[in-house]
Amino acid sequence: MAQDLTPSVAIIGGGPSGCYLAQFLRKEFNESRITIFDCLPVPYGLVRFGVAPDHVGTKAVAAQFDRLFEREGVEFIGSTEIGRDKPLDEVMNEYDIVVLATGLGGDRKLGIPGEKLRGIYGAGRITRLINSHPFESLDELKVGSTLAIIGHGNVAIDLIRLSLLTPQELTLHGVSKDVALLVASNNLRQIHVVGRSGIESAKFDPAMIRELEKIPDVRFISDSKITNYENVEAKKRIEAINSLVSSSPANATRTVHFHFGWQPLEICGTSKVEEIRFKSHSDEILQLPGDTIYSAIGFEQAENAAIKIENLITKESDLEHGFIFDRLYCVGWLRRGPQGTIPVNRADAKKISERIVQDFKNKKLEKARER
Amino acid sequence: MSKSVVILFGTESGNAEFAAEDMAAEVLDRPVEVIDMSDFDVASFSNKNLYLIICSTHGEGDLPSGALPLHQSLESINPDLAGIQYAMFGLGDSSYENYSKGSEHIDHKLSALGATRVGEYGRHDADTGTLPSARAVEWAKAILEAY
Repeated sequence: MAQDLTPSVAIIGGGPSGCYLAQFLRKEFNESRITIFDCLPVPYGLVRFGVAPDHVGTKAVAAQFDRLFEREGVEFIGSTEIGRDKPLDEVMNEYDIVVLATGLGGDRKLGIPGEKLRGIYGAGRITRLINSHPFESLDELKVGSTLAIIGHGNVAIDLIRLSLLTPQELTLHGVSKDVALLVASNNLRQIHVVGRSGIESAKFDPAMIRELEKIPDVRFISDSKITNYENVEAKKRIEAINSLVSSSPANATRTVHFHFGWQPLEICGTSKVEEIRFKSHSDEILQLPGDTIYSAIGFEQAENAAIKIENLITKESDLEHGFIFDRLYCVGWLRRGPQGTIPVNRADAKKISERIVQDFKNKKLEKARER
Repeated sequence: MSKSVVILFGTESGNAEFAAEDMAAEVLDRPVEVIDMSDFDVASFSNKNLYLIICSTHGEGDLPSGALPLHQSLESINPDLAGIQYAMFGLGDSSYENYSKGSEHIDHKLSALGATRVGEYGRHDADTGTLPSARAVEWAKAILEAY
């Protein structure tokens, strides 16, 4: 392995974390061969397949990454899943430094009875479908008149908004017609959005709630009784929900009902979803009718992930700084879990790039001393 | 003699940094430096420089995390910025409320401390689906022709 000032680097996964990492490493390793591998034929991961299609401003970050391949000499090798199409060992032999940036591709399970009934879909699957992910298909997907979205994060709010747009609006944002007709179905009349936390510690950003105010013909309701809270962030969330509720028309044909502080207990039905039961902290029960459920309670490593990080960790691993073992690193959601937006992963990539560069410089010093 | 150019960027997703570097590449006739607001020392403000400031917007019209340190030190140190010239370019997304408000926090602070804003207040709307670079470069060219 030739490595003086120019270590070769392989980044496994071309999502935002992998691309940001390539940006930061390129600044330090001007002449290095840097390759991004991805299992899909196209790069950008969640920017392309996770960010909602109407959030064009957020998706525009892809234009930053375009430049990696157009001008910065970063190489992209698509349709190559490391650990399946090509073993990780082989990559370790071909490159001086290897970084896993494969993210967390699985929807976190609810872990309650009835989860296998028909009519329950993970949020990741729905957002991939909406964004025309090549491995996703409509299959048996059906959206009825009453939808329950479980979770109060930004992904849940995306799903509310995308469900309430018209199919025409979705197709204008590039969503395929059959998916648009299904997700933004005209038959959909009621959406229940249920979260485990109280409004004061719900996960959504207030700006996402404000965006919902623009959608016509929807009555918004909230069961939160908290009207004021000292914490500034909590206060903003409460104000956003209050304003959404009070500005919505009373006689709309569609209703979105926010439920705060309810933990899912079980999903009932004979072959498909008919009812969902929740429990409050004080053991009250909430029963909601529903024919469709989107679970949006976060992400985890996919069951069929080709590389499982837990199989690679040793006593020397220092995941806080992205170090797995000599010459192998990890970054982004895979490293620290499914929290944080695209900019948070930029900060993460910066931090890990600093560690990688530092390790490389230390090694060079050692070598110089040996000579 | 024209002033040296210092491009200060405050970023969250890297778009402002990107535009800052593209602007710098267009400045050929005088010295230019690109500095992250997070690394900038307010004591180094000099009337020998013209400051081109590009700053994004985060959350509900808030500053991006990259601009917070600068805003905080302007607040705590309260430097006298009389004689300092700067031009301002704000990034934002008009699909949200408080469009392009982030940069205005820095603008207000600098003005209050005696600095003078010159030229057009530049803006870029991310809802167009484009990066701010092209728009920011145009803006910078116009500013530099005049100052």
